[in-house]
Amino acid sequence: MKALPEVSAVPYDLGFARWVRDNIQGGELLSLCMQCGVCSGSCPIGVQMDYGPRKLFMMIRAGMKEEVLRSNTLWNCTSCYRCVVRCPRGVPVTYILQDLAAKSAELGYASKGTENVNFARSFWWSARFYGRTDERLITARYYFTFGLKEGLRRALENLSIAVGMIRTGRMHMGMPRRIKDRRGLKAILAKARELELGE
Amino acid sequence: MSEAKTLTYYPGCSSQGSARHLDESLRAVLPKVGIELDEIDDWNCCGASVGHIGGCQKPNLALTGRTLAKAQQKGTRDVVTGCAACYLNTHSGAEKIKADVKTRTQINTALREAKLSYDADLRVRHICEVLVNDVGIDRIASQVTNPLTGLKVAGYVGCQTVRPFAGTEGGGKFDATDEPTFLDDFTRACGAEALAFSNKTSCCGASVAVMSPDRTLPLIKTILSEAQEAGADVISTPCPLCQTNVEMYQAAINRKWGTKFQIPVVFYSQLMAVAFGMAANKEAALQRNTIAPTALAALARPEGAK
Repeated sequence: MKALPEVSAVPYDLGFARWVRDNIQGGELLSLCMQCGVCSGSCPIGVQMDYGPRKLFMMIRAGMKEEVLRSNTLWNCTSCYRCVVRCPRGVPVTYILQDLAAKSAELGYASKGTENVNFARSFWWSARFYGRTDERLITARYYFTFGLKEGLRRALENLSIAVGMIRTGRMHMGMPRRIKDRRGLKAILAKARELELGE
Repeated sequence: MSEAKTLTYYPGCSSQGSARHLDESLRAVLPKVGIELDEIDDWNCCGASVGHIGGCQKPNLALTGRTLAKAQQKGTRDVVTGCAACYLNTHSGAEKIKADVKTRTQINTALREAKLSYDADLRVRHICEVLVNDVGIDRIASQVTNPLTGLKVAGYVGCQTVRPFAGTEGGGKFDATDEPTFLDDFTRACGAEALAFSNKTSCCGASVAVMSPDRTLPLIKTILSEAQEAGADVISTPCPLCQTNVEMYQAAINRKWGTKFQIPVVFYSQLMAVAFGMAANKEAALQRNTIAPTALAALARPEGAK
């Protein structure tokens, strides 16, 4: 991945659309967008977004880097892919939003306490360390990324759900499930990251 | 398809936790329709819908690369999974690795760190697609010895099982992304009644529902409301996360809106297990639903009876 263009004093960064094209998964197809709005109209959770995908894509063209990378649009996408299958121009909307989210987190644009980032990091910790996702540990770790008090509040709020899961044997108790070759997995992931940074 | 066919099986992490009942019922019913599952040795997490944020794109793809490399060692071309997220990630990852030489080289360079390699020849399939295309609805119906007569079922497909690959060449010419019929076909094959249900592919909120339910409770409420108005005894779904979300948040929805939802959410494979005359708990795994599917359990053969 190339470095982002330097932050400038002017709100419009005219190199941003080019950066998206070159660095964001599916970004090379963004120029096909004809602003019809089928994506935003199809979105199950669009009402909660700062900007729907259609508007966000126009903002990318306009060079509104800060607003795009800081928008909650990236964090409300549930990855249902309805926009992808409906887009008349074949723009991979979900994939673009997902990668913008990943880059927003990686480059430090996501504000501290963004739920999705905290959740994703808790998730990745389990995936990388154990090779499996332990739903119990991820949830607990995620809750306490907000601090002790908020962590306890969230844990208590969801206690009855946890009890139901334990009662029906759907919350794994005991040592976390793990793959055998954890050392190999860690080496694979480290190498993949190294190759990504070298691009 | 008359002889048994062995497929390489990727159960996914939820099969050991929140969706054990999907895995258990699939392992019970699939041999009855000629599918033997051969589990991938030491498979790992697929990255689900947040791996790219937590670990960045290339390591996230390397997760898929490793599972595919382990799957390749099984020697069959088809890899199947019952999990929507595993299917989506592994299928799209396999296509990415196949389509782009540079990506394939990079993933193999990373895999070499653990003495693994992947030739990009595998076909990743969803078990529902295999049931539709390879097994066929007639064969499923032919195994029904205990028809679920009178059971009203709302078929809730969810998103990722059919999107974005349904009906594409790589996705196996499998049903529609907006109005799929396969789940209702399964229901009818089991002798139950498939209700008209327009929220078939409405999103439950997926992982956003897990991390911040307040943002997604309205989505789940929409699904439940229609199922209740239609008079559903159970909601049937193929997706592990849909099953958990739509089931576990009913109490929170009831608290927030004063509703009285108490609708069991089961997997299609649990319906099949009961319809195939299998045991309610041991094979259909009905004891794993936090909202007991009493109408379905009442139709099941007594435990241990053949």
